[in-house]
Amino acid sequence: MKLRLSLQTLQVLDAFLQAPKDWKYGYDISRNTGLKSGTLYPILMRLAERKLLETSWETAEIGKPPRHLYRLTPDGLRFAWGHRLSRSTGRVSRTAFSGAKS
Amino acid sequence: MSAIRRWASGLLRAVLRHTPSDSQDWANAMLRELDVIDGDWAALSWALGCTTALFRHCVPLGLRAWLGKRLDGKDAVGVASGIVIAVAVTGSAFGLVRKLFYLFPAWDLGPMPWWVAMIGIPEVIFIVTAVALWRKRRSMAVGILLSAVTLVAHFIVHVATHGNGQ
Repeated sequence: MKLRLSLQTLQVLDAFLQAPKDWKYGYDISRNTGLKSGTLYPILMRLAERKLLETSWETAEIGKPPRHLYRLTPDGLRFAWGHRLSRSTGRVSRTAFSGAKS
Repeated sequence: MSAIRRWASGLLRAVLRHTPSDSQDWANAMLRELDVIDGDWAALSWALGCTTALFRHCVPLGLRAWLGKRLDGKDAVGVASGIVIAVAVTGSAFGLVRKLFYLFPAWDLGPMPWWVAMIGIPEVIFIVTAVALWRKRRSMAVGILLSAVTLVAHFIVHVATHGNGQ
């Protein structure tokens, strides 16, 4: 099954690539990307379904309910880097093209 | 805790209670995040967004599971034949209406009656047939009803995007 790579999905992947090894909270990703929960969670669910994202519950502290954590799997990292690379290549060629035009 | 935040929390708790077991983790995760959101309206917006996300995630899965559980091979043939019958009826109604307007141009009173005939005749036939078949051939009746719903949905989308057919 192919993953639909919308602009929002790319934003989420970029947010994970800022600190690839760190676990992230859903609300923090939402604030960093500017995506509403209704947009963010379907993306996280699709990434997790395709084993590109791993999820975990943080260890509970007394009086503080645990939160859900997310980070890219090794496959997810490869996928995200691959797409970032292809986008940057595309951007370079587009810039070069528009530069030649002007 | 303010009333708005209580609504937000209550909404997500209600969603969590009714979410299928395979999505409970996600619903719980969304509820836990609510505790760290500062503004009350932001919390409500978060809860509404999460409800939409869970709804969009769970409904197709539930529908697929329901159909998978309900339909064995024989039922699937029944549903398929119901859909084929419905498509044939719609095609016939379309052809009949076109033919009538061709033979009697005065009957063509504008686009709306044409669409009413196109949708109305098959829909009446579908509902009557589905009701008649419901006891003895339920799977076929389900196929016909699915087609009826699809036709109405198509009509609504068409009118919404193209106006009243003009």
